[in-house]
Amino acid sequence: MMWLQSPQDETEELLRNALDQAKERTGDEITHRRVWARVASPELAETRPKAPGMAKLFWACASLAALVGGGFWAYSTFRAPESIAIQPPSVPAIAKQPLDLSPPLDLVETERVPGQVVQSGAGEKMRVALGGGAEAELFENSAVSWDRHRRPMIKKGKARLSVPHQPPGWRFSVSAGPYLITVVGTKFDVDMMSRTVRVAVTEGIVEVGRGSSAIRLHAGDSWEGPLPSATGTTTVASVTPPPSPARSKVIPQEGLAAAHSALDTGDTQRAIAMLAQLSKGEGPTAENAAYDLARVTRDFLHRPRQAIQLWEKYRRRFPSGVLRKEADLSIVETLVKMDIHQAALTETEAFLARYPNSERRTEMLETAARLRATLAASAAGN
Amino acid sequence: MESTQSTKTPTSWLSATNDVELVQRCRSGDSIAWRKLYDRYSPSVYRFTAALGVPFEEREDAAQDIFIAVYRSLRHFRGEAQLSTWIYRIAARHAIRMGRRRRTREMMRTLLSKETLPPVVDPREQSTHVATLDKMLAKLPAKKRTVLVLFEIEGLSAKEISDVVGCPENTVWSRLHHARSELTKVARRMAP
Repeated sequence: MMWLQSPQDETEELLRNALDQAKERTGDEITHRRVWARVASPELAETRPKAPGMAKLFWACASLAALVGGGFWAYSTFRAPESIAIQPPSVPAIAKQPLDLSPPLDLVETERVPGQVVQSGAGEKMRVALGGGAEAELFENSAVSWDRHRRPMIKKGKARLSVPHQPPGWRFSVSAGPYLITVVGTKFDVDMMSRTVRVAVTEGIVEVGRGSSAIRLHAGDSWEGPLPSATGTTTVASVTPPPSPARSKVIPQEGLAAAHSALDTGDTQRAIAMLAQLSKGEGPTAENAAYDLARVTRDFLHRPRQAIQLWEKYRRRFPSGVLRKEADLSIVETLVKMDIHQAALTETEAFLARYPNSERRTEMLETAARLRATLAASAAGN
Repeated sequence: MESTQSTKTPTSWLSATNDVELVQRCRSGDSIAWRKLYDRYSPSVYRFTAALGVPFEEREDAAQDIFIAVYRSLRHFRGEAQLSTWIYRIAARHAIRMGRRRRTREMMRTLLSKETLPPVVDPREQSTHVATLDKMLAKLPAKKRTVLVLFEIEGLSAKEISDVVGCPENTVWSRLHHARSELTKVARRMAP
């Protein structure tokens, strides 16, 4: 007999209900689609940054010392360079940046061999290709180099980085002093000041990590961390946590979950209003919301034509988005269901041309064959 | 883990391929098979890691790491255990490791008098009993919690759980008994 099948009191009943509800917690569709986009090519995928062995050992020793000894010695030890924690982001700084109306600079392409340094002089600005479609705008007296993994490093000065959306499973990383900044597709500034590194995100999401500590910065966030030469100074303490009201503005991921929540409770209109609002923003959340808006329009409002228009809008806005392939597939599926054969065939052929190695290739080839047969039959009938 | 699709991810092309065949095809680099495997098991991985205490904002990263680990270990899968059991084993190890890292991180933040950021909660879970259950489960030791979650939520048999956690069946029953009893006590203490 199942445990708590006949609850004896309210507590047992609560437990039974909670266990039953936990069985239903399987994640929503968009979560699974997003994760799939990251594991579709696992042989290429990098796992998320992990602490190197020494850092792990350090953390283990530090934790033990803290538990056993406690007090001032542990406190001061953990403030040593390796243990400096990543600070919460400060908000906002980007919006205040003046609009740059100067003509675009020529892109400097280099071989990007390990140890190579590209440097801008006094009063000079440069645009440097970093590989993978990413580029850095170097401000005056700034330098970028490449490490032995051919990963770019900001050596000094200030750089504004622009990173296109990476293929599924790929992440772009750039280092600045002891920090590793990891992104999927975004725009952000890295400023190597004399005692600190400052990262300010204009678009998308950036992860700043050091050892096993990491913090996520969203569009509009900025963060500052000390450089090794400046560790132990008061710089760390001077960084203040963000004011709480600003947080809801910069982490709309929660808004996306709230929209799904509204959907679950049957409040479709509210969910749509939230998704529409979120889709007007920037970065991955806006992208997810734009995709989901179309899905909800099709599945909950039963307006397939409008849904297709919304997915087309998504494609125009995020031509290389993480959910681009899913949007293409959704359009095909919707057109097929609506019996709009010619448009479905055109979309299917475009899909096959765009994703020749897709795991859906066989299925899409079959779909194309079926659509051709249907079109031929209807032409013969006429 | 259920062998049928339980979310709305595209299903039209899914067929009833068995797990052994699926693994063989994945090993040979068949991307269709890999998608099938993902679709079949991602809901369970999500549910299992959530019940083991992986917070809302880390669940996607956890699922990503688990599936990459699954892919990279496929060549070691000998088919002696069920594929689901094997994936649960990888997921459990990963979730426990993440929990350990999270606790260390929180402890360090406390030691350094840093302000701890409040956890992000899935708004869909806020008003349900699941959020309360998570708090209760957090009071159980990891080994007992894993057994309880596998039995009560994932619906595995004692034999399957013994394969996942690597202990004799009798130990599974014993841990389950203690976990149930402790959970009930915690529930009574936390009850409003």
